[in-house]
Amino acid sequence: MTNNRRIVDHPVLGKLSDRKEITFTYDGQTYTGYEGDTIASALLANGVRTLRVHEESGKPRGIYCNIGHCFECRVTVNNETGVRACLTEIKDQMVVESGRVLPSPLASTEHDTLPRTYAEFVKQQEEEKGEV
Amino acid sequence: MDHITICRCEEVTLEDIKNTAKKYQCSAREIKLRTRAGMGYCGGRTCRPAVDAVMEQVTGEKPGHDIPLKVQPPVRPVSLATLRGMQDDK
Ligand code: FES
Repeated sequence: MTNNRRIVDHPVLGKLSDRKEITFTYDGQTYTGYEGDTIASALLANGVRTLRVHEESGKPRGIYCNIGHCFECRVTVNNETGVRACLTEIKDQMVVESGRVLPSPLASTEHDTLPRTYAEFVKQQEEEKGEV
Repeated sequence: MDHITICRCEEVTLEDIKNTAKKYQCSAREIKLRTRAGMGYCGGRTCRPAVDAVMEQVTGEKPGHDIPLKVQPPVRPVSLATLRGMQDDK
């Protein structure tokens, strides 16, 4: 099942069988990649598309630009945070972790009634006005 | 269509930006301050052209007007450890 999303023979890139296999972990699970893979490409080939979740809302994020521009793919590599998965070459025994939801100062104790963005704040105010 | 996310770092939708622009008829910079579009991790480098384009559509304000979205170094996020020279720069 693993690594079946790969080109096995390519006129420029050569044969997959010529490349060296390496192992790495992502969120504690062990995966196989090939030398020369980026973290993002190795995970994609293994069917993993979610690289992190938004720190506040928890919505899933993955490869977006794939050229190191947008930082949407940032993961934690060997305890270093904010590493771009799309640019970083995978190394044997790398420990990769996804981004999680962070404790938020805006997280409401009143069952999420506080607005998360200014736009939500305005909307809420308007709704309140409408009710009065 | 309006639910398209324009700024992914701060999760600001096209709808948020359009509504705010319509309501306040303001500059792109004010949009940024009101909605947080362009204030996230990537430094606004990803959504800035999109925000400018929406502004042009809604208020007719062209990019590069009096109060533009600010562009300033560093050109990409750098950790304090990197700035201190404690890490190989990338
Ligand atoms: S996907 Fe945009 S920086 Fe990696």
